Amino acid sequence: MSEYLDPTAPVAVPRKTARRPSSLDGLVVTLLDISKAKGDHLLDRIEELLRERARPKAIVRKKKPTFARPAPEPLRAEIVGGTGVLIEALAD
Amino acid sequence: MSLADPGLDADAIEELYARGVTDGLPVVPPTRGRVERTIAASGRGPDELIGLVPPNYGRATVEKIAVNAVMAGCRPEYLPVVLAAVEAVCDDAFDLHGVSATTNAPAPLVIVNGPLRGELDINCGAGVFGSGWRANATIGRALRLVCVNVGGARPGEVSMSTLAHPGRYTYCIGEREEASPWESLAVEHGFAPGDSTVAVLAADAPLGVYDQRSRTPEDLLATLAASLAVVAHHKMTHWGDTLLVLSPEHVRIPGDAGWTKAEVRRWLWERLQRPVRELLPGRDGGEGLPEHVLRKFPDPARDDSPIAKFRSPDNIKILVAGGTAGRFSAIVPGWTFSKGSALVFRPIRTP
Amino acid sequence: MHDGVFFEDHGIPTATVVSTEFVRAARAQAEALGAHDYRTVVVPHPIQPLTRDEVRALADKAFDEIVRRLTA
Repeated sequence: MSEYLDPTAPVAVPRKTARRPSSLDGLVVTLLDISKAKGDHLLDRIEELLRERARPKAIVRKKKPTFARPAPEPLRAEIVGGTGVLIEALAD
Repeated sequence: MSLADPGLDADAIEELYARGVTDGLPVVPPTRGRVERTIAASGRGPDELIGLVPPNYGRATVEKIAVNAVMAGCRPEYLPVVLAAVEAVCDDAFDLHGVSATTNAPAPLVIVNGPLRGELDINCGAGVFGSGWRANATIGRALRLVCVNVGGARPGEVSMSTLAHPGRYTYCIGEREEASPWESLAVEHGFAPGDSTVAVLAADAPLGVYDQRSRTPEDLLATLAASLAVVAHHKMTHWGDTLLVLSPEHVRIPGDAGWTKAEVRRWLWERLQRPVRELLPGRDGGEGLPEHVLRKFPDPARDDSPIAKFRSPDNIKILVAGGTAGRFSAIVPGWTFSKGSALVFRPIRTP
Repeated sequence: MHDGVFFEDHGIPTATVVSTEFVRAARAQAEALGAHDYRTVVVPHPIQPLTRDEVRALADKAFDEIVRRLTA
């Protein structure tokens, strides 16, 4: 293959997942709605369950303008600066 | 110039297919010599960045695009058109991320305006959406290969289209400006008649409209409107950029009667409105107005407020193409789901 | 998937809920970005024809998995 030029442009870089806390107690939990229909119903119920079964410091609801693009930079920055963990839904 | 060994090329075709970097058809092996000749014909530097191609946001340099253009079968002089098309689909307004990943079917349709159509022999006449012209076949194909190889839009993996359509092999037309009574699509969007441009539309497959008998603008436009009404589905509203391709015989009807393109658009837009009460989900099909729109009307089942198929008359894009014989036109539905994608222009830079 | 990988990169444990039909796409996109350890939380496809209560029932089933994805 070396005699032919590569048509691809790989973007993979080494990444690690974030360190996990031992529980959600005392953390801010952000629920990110990706704006696909019905995702809000799922997140509504997840919010109720979090309140019943965990002790988060706060639950914050956010919404992407559209599922068809990555979240805009200001929204990403706001989430990074204001949350302990994130739940996003629902890609279908 | 030495010719490549045909045996080696045959092996390379198999190898490239096995690597998953083709569209399923044989590709021209991208030797350094072929790629260098292609880059040279564009007058651009190999490392110049043209865009970041979603969904991977891979770096589309002139050289990367040239490799894919060679594989697609482009002649070197086509590269400036491919570069402009890649730049256009990477514009945020096109939303290639959504176009490439969606379960819907869109493919970028490349529309060429201006004098380069003639110089490169880009078909805008008989069989305009069909096969037989190297420029149309390979420019559209090169853009597809860039979307897959640089953008990562592998079908069935990241690209989730349920059905897709044959325009995902290649989808490139020219406007038959010489047969139009009106300014071209590019001139309408602010370019000079001497400019050569590409426009890209995230497009479904063309839907043919047959009207052999109409002789007045009102008759012809009524046929076209009724066919436009079923874009996406018959109760879809708030739709965005969609292309209407009028054949020379059809366009002469409003043209000879002195109608402007803007008047045609306006007539179609007004005709394509329906009262709320006809757009309810569960009446004549499960589809209909979304909940957030219905909530604005206290008694939707009896509400006569008109809702437009297209957000504005300007969303109905019109150009002239096709053979001089035949009273046929085509609707090319855009992909404007969730206000996703709009028609995007770029000038073609030639050396 | 870009968002999930972005937030993990920035130290935010993230649980992305996808339907079964989208697991492969999510995985392929994460792999393309180099996020080989990225895992999603999966609910059965399809979602769009479901009623509100049917979608809520999916949340009940997925909840423990979501918490496991976010904690050590």
